[in-house]
Amino acid sequence: MLVVDRLTFAYRDQATPYQFSFDAKPGEITAISGPSGSGKSTLLDLLAGFLSPVSGTIATNGTNIVRLPPEQRPVSLLLQTESLFEHLTAARNVALGLSPKTPRTETKVAVDAALNEVGLSGFGARLAAGLSGGQKQRVALARTLLRARPVLLLDEPFSALDDGTRGQVRSLVVRLTSFHCWHTILVSHHIDDINAVAHRHYRLDNQKLALV
Amino acid sequence: MQSLPQRRNRIVISLTLAALITGVIAAVLWAILAAATTVSDSGSSRIDILHLLRMTSIQAGLTTLISLLVGTALAWALNRLRFPGRNMLIGIFSAAIVTPGMVVAFGMLSIWGRSGWINQASLAMFNVSIGNPAFGLSGILLAHVILDGAFAARILLARLDSIPQERLKTGQSLNLSPWTRFIILDWQAMRGTLPGLAAIIFLLAFTSFPIVLLLGGGPANQTLEVAIYAAVRQDFDLRGAVLLALTQIGVCSIIIFSAAALPAVPSSLGPSSTKSWRDRAWALGLAWIVLGLATLGFVLPLASVLVDGLAAGLINLLSTVSFWHASATSLIVGSISALLTLTFTLALSLGRSASASQQLRIVLGLPAYAYLAVPAVVLSLGGFLLVRSMGIAPGAAAPYVVVFANALLALPFAVATLGPPLDTIARSRGKLIRSLGLSSWQQFKLIEYPLLGRDVGVVLALSFCFSLGDLGVIALFGTQDFTTLPLLMFRALGAYRSDDAAAIAAILLIGTIAAFEALPRLFERLAHARR
Repeated sequence: MLVVDRLTFAYRDQATPYQFSFDAKPGEITAISGPSGSGKSTLLDLLAGFLSPVSGTIATNGTNIVRLPPEQRPVSLLLQTESLFEHLTAARNVALGLSPKTPRTETKVAVDAALNEVGLSGFGARLAAGLSGGQKQRVALARTLLRARPVLLLDEPFSALDDGTRGQVRSLVVRLTSFHCWHTILVSHHIDDINAVAHRHYRLDNQKLALV
Repeated sequence: MQSLPQRRNRIVISLTLAALITGVIAAVLWAILAAATTVSDSGSSRIDILHLLRMTSIQAGLTTLISLLVGTALAWALNRLRFPGRNMLIGIFSAAIVTPGMVVAFGMLSIWGRSGWINQASLAMFNVSIGNPAFGLSGILLAHVILDGAFAARILLARLDSIPQERLKTGQSLNLSPWTRFIILDWQAMRGTLPGLAAIIFLLAFTSFPIVLLLGGGPANQTLEVAIYAAVRQDFDLRGAVLLALTQIGVCSIIIFSAAALPAVPSSLGPSSTKSWRDRAWALGLAWIVLGLATLGFVLPLASVLVDGLAAGLINLLSTVSFWHASATSLIVGSISALLTLTFTLALSLGRSASASQQLRIVLGLPAYAYLAVPAVVLSLGGFLLVRSMGIAPGAAAPYVVVFANALLALPFAVATLGPPLDTIARSRGKLIRSLGLSSWQQFKLIEYPLLGRDVGVVLALSFCFSLGDLGVIALFGTQDFTTLPLLMFRALGAYRSDDAAAIAAILLIGTIAAFEALPRLFERLAHARR
């Protein structure tokens, strides 16, 4: 269980601080929506550790992770764009999910399996720059598989995709979340995406979250 | 915001290096100041600092003004015209920044000198002599404008290339006249870069050494930099040299601090784009005329260096031992200086890009501009005084001082090349790098180096070429046993062995252009091979 409790943050010169409280169950997708500038990305940055809150807690399975730096948090991140390093191959991008000390043969087996699980067998040698938007998101999801972190943060991951690809990637996120028991937090302002994948939906207004 | 990967080791290394460079510069300044107070005033110094300051400022001011005008016109022409060989021509103009001043000065004499190509042609066709515009203020200005005008054109062309295609389409649909397009699109794109570019060109001209030394034609057109050299090497007036050096440092520092507030001028330039724009016939005609004149002005002196150098004295030169010694010294000094510049640049830029504090970023950026405040001849003079005060023979310290000074020489341009893309990577990819927990080495090996392979090559090329063509540092430290190609060329000119000088100029020109073209491509290829 991911429990965010009175997580408080304010930018300099911000009169009313944000205060976030919500929880997310394993194997479920929790959606956060809200108008532009409402604080959706601020919430993701707080969960990922890129911003430090004034007070409050973020607990995964009972452990408060709020003081952990980003690289030590049990969190994977999937952004709208720039989720991959475009000058590297798909396989190299996926392998970044493993420790650099992992033996080469073990890495290859794990990368191939992860690419296979997201439906991209045989794409490992391709440069990320040459992949379509949907393929890039699937490669990023394959890397998430190898990182094996219980929380997946999705920042508008479907926005740059066309309708057909969007459906495929949405289904993949639902399947992987359920199968690997991830706590998936989806930030989006597309109500179609939220209705298609979310088990719970919070709306962010006036610096606070409300269950829809 | 903690989205920047935490790299304390990078910041510590960067700070240590910044302190080291600052320490060396401070020691050099201390040596100059100490000499200013201890060297006895013989009363025989004939140095007129005010006159030199006025002459240097007039020369640098005129160079800046004319170079910006020529650069703007040339950038405009290159932006409008499409023709086979355009990329090659742009590449040649880009090489202006590394073309040794000595080579251009020599080419100027071949073209504009009393027995130069133009005078000979004028005499043959009209029986009229054009005199000797290669000497004096006109010669200095012409040589500076050839180099700095081409440099300005390349920078401004990149600004014109950055105008979005959508804006051009809108302009085209509104049927903008060439003049209106220039005012509302081109000028808007260029004007932000002009003040910073003007400051750089002014500093380059203010601290120009070989061109003024070769084309100055006497004390009337001397600049501070040449006067320092003359005071040390010819008049043995150390006190005068020190006072001149302090004046030079003061003026350069004022310009650098004033220019610090101006928008940065990018120095790493990719291929020029070829966005389409249908121009009026008269505008295209004017663009062709501008391009033709600029190409003749830039290429003719360099072509004459190649023609004169490869025709006359090359075989003789190749048979002399001193040439091979000087070549080996130049290659070794150039290579070590280039590696040292790259090491300094990477250490400073990686530290800066890892730092979220603006104050720390400023501190780490300052050593890069040390050279501009303390130019080559002054640095060389300070180094000379410093090693002498330490009881070391200047001849013994010469290789170390020359390598270190040459490494600093290219540092401002090197940091301007690698710094911005490293900052961009840290800021655009910082979240991903940090969330993946990549180590500092992984970040460099997998992300930064492959993306910056070409820029690494540019830094090596810039620093190697600057070192290869340097006369300012070696002029004070060179000995019979420690001679580089530019010093050998200078001595050949002094001994009226113009065939030898021509051949060395041609070799220097070929060497710098080859290195400037080949190294960035080589490193781009090597970096891509690591994917």
